[in-house]
Amino acid sequence: METRIPELGRFAEPALLILVSLSDGPKHGYAIMADVEAGTGRPLGPGTLYAALARLEERGLIEALTPVDRRRPYRLTAVGATNLAEQLHELSEFAQLGLRRLGNTSG
Amino acid sequence: MRPINLILRLYPARWRARYGDEFAAVLEERPLGPFDVADVLLGALDAHLHLRGLGAASQHAKGFAMSLRIGGYAAILGAALIVLVIALTGGRSGGSDNAASIALLVALAALLVGLTGMSAFQARSDPWLVWSAFAMTAVGSVVIFIASVSDLAGVGPGDWRDGLLPIGLVTAGLGSALFGVATYRVSVLSRRGALALMIGPVAALSGAIAVSQNAWELGMPFILVGIVSFLAGWLTLGVAAIRLDRAASTLGPA
Repeated sequence: METRIPELGRFAEPALLILVSLSDGPKHGYAIMADVEAGTGRPLGPGTLYAALARLEERGLIEALTPVDRRRPYRLTAVGATNLAEQLHELSEFAQLGLRRLGNTSG
Repeated sequence: MRPINLILRLYPARWRARYGDEFAAVLEERPLGPFDVADVLLGALDAHLHLRGLGAASQHAKGFAMSLRIGGYAAILGAALIVLVIALTGGRSGGSDNAASIALLVALAALLVGLTGMSAFQARSDPWLVWSAFAMTAVGSVVIFIASVSDLAGVGPGDWRDGLLPIGLVTAGLGSALFGVATYRVSVLSRRGALALMIGPVAALSGAIAVSQNAWELGMPFILVGIVSFLAGWLTLGVAAIRLDRAASTLGPA
């Protein structure tokens, strides 16, 4: 199942942040919002959060667990974890390339 | 009906059946500011389009989301348009200028979007202050709209200082100052920009009062400093919002 995050349009970036947030265990909506905001210093609105969650769930990258007091936790699926790892490797390779070039030009 | 239930009813029934309860629980977790409400409204629009296969599920379409970036660009646009208004009117007090009126209304609408996009963190600790800032800017804009329409219809005063326009300007200006206070208190974006936004409208209003008492030499410098400070405040906050958004965007895919 090949599901690229950039296919999620405007929600590609929130989607990646949500996947990273879920990478250390299941979280419910508000906990994801708080975690993403603490990690990026940038607000994540509830409308954007649920638009991205719905798309990630549709694509099988995350799955919903049983709600506790109306709070429904989500967790990464195996496909989601693989996809996230690929995305992060690509970003890491790109960052390494940039850093190498920066080192060459400034050295 | 509670405001949160009202907001939820904007989403499609199928979406509410699946996410309604947990979404309401998220909305109840913290005070909602203009940023959150705008984001939820855009989210509802996106949900309708998405369920019809017209949203970001299609590779050709983008979804809708409120962001610091939108707020930052809107704030810069609003400040730039106010400079244009000043250039178009050249400080004249008489006559009507349709281009200047339209530019002023678009500028205020842009500042309202700017305030909405940049208000997320302030609303968490000072929701009433942020909503007051939003309401005053919105009411000021409506008053200026009424003044402009009256002017275009030929029923406005010969001198704009005698009509509704000054009331609208003062109300919208004080709305900006309140947003500056909220931003300064939370210490987000730029405290220097927030301070400039607080000082600007107050200085300009003090200057205008002095001028109305014929103390021109005392009043004009205050008006000048107030306008420059007001514009510098919005520009600084706008640039800070775009920078913060870009810094966080390095985490996401291009």
